[in-house]
Amino acid sequence: MSRVDFDSIEIGDELPPSRVDLAKEFVTRHARVLDMAFPRFTDDAGARAEGLPGQITPGNLSLALLANALLAWIPGARLLRLGTTFRGLAPAGIAVSIHGTVTEKADDARTIECDVWMENAEGDRLVIGTATVALP
Amino acid sequence: MAFSDIPRSVIGVEYDVFTYPAVTAAELIEYARSLGVTDPIYLDEAAAKNGPFGGLVAFPTYVVKLRGGKHMPQVVVREMSTGGFDAGKDIEFHAPIRPGDVITARSRVVDLYEKTGRSGSMWFVVYRQELVNQRGELLANVDSRMMQRGRSAPGAGGDRAEGER
Repeated sequence: MSRVDFDSIEIGDELPPSRVDLAKEFVTRHARVLDMAFPRFTDDAGARAEGLPGQITPGNLSLALLANALLAWIPGARLLRLGTTFRGLAPAGIAVSIHGTVTEKADDARTIECDVWMENAEGDRLVIGTATVALP
Repeated sequence: MAFSDIPRSVIGVEYDVFTYPAVTAAELIEYARSLGVTDPIYLDEAAAKNGPFGGLVAFPTYVVKLRGGKHMPQVVVREMSTGGFDAGKDIEFHAPIRPGDVITARSRVVDLYEKTGRSGSMWFVVYRQELVNQRGELLANVDSRMMQRGRSAPGAGGDRAEGER
């Protein structure tokens, strides 16, 4: 993943897409770390009992993956704000990709605004959001 | 009672104050590691001493783990407890969380609204956890939007196309 700094970044720049495997074990482990070990997040049978097609990914994990992709892209950056909308089910056991675009740049504050999203292999945006990031 | 009967007076009223035991470095590291974070300021106490915060800090989204002691006010829970989903979050991050911090979550409802889409009505409640540490420093404001299909809506509870978790 290429790294950037405040001077090199421009409006329209794209976050290098990153792939994340939402393996069932990964989702279950993270749900436990979050104290969210509810059946819908930990096993298929429990999720089906709730009327879901199978185990799903907590939104709290999805938004953290967006944050991780942003902060990994810009060394030393600090996340000031993250707003997310969970638009569709993110089933456990699929691979997703994280994307982003710089939409604004404030020279005085040394901050950027970004659109960020998580999509599945079909290109459906399961989670969309915006972020404000402060750069050193 | 229907969603529209939930009194607007619940908005802005603090309904829960919950203080957590002191945060440990181990749990901050566990959280970051579980995400696949690689920056040592979130993973390695020794290396983090030379980082921008002068020590280990929580990966920012750790704040979503701090959801307080009571999910929502009882008057809202009565109407939103039958299969609601997390539709999204808006988080403002302030001071970093460090090992040893004793964090208090103060919760209040900040909005109630209804939307009508192709599949019927959807009810939303937005509640905020304001997180402060033992020095009174603001750590984060975490706004969560919980969504539930209106019970009279066609297909209520069966179509989750517009909001999840």
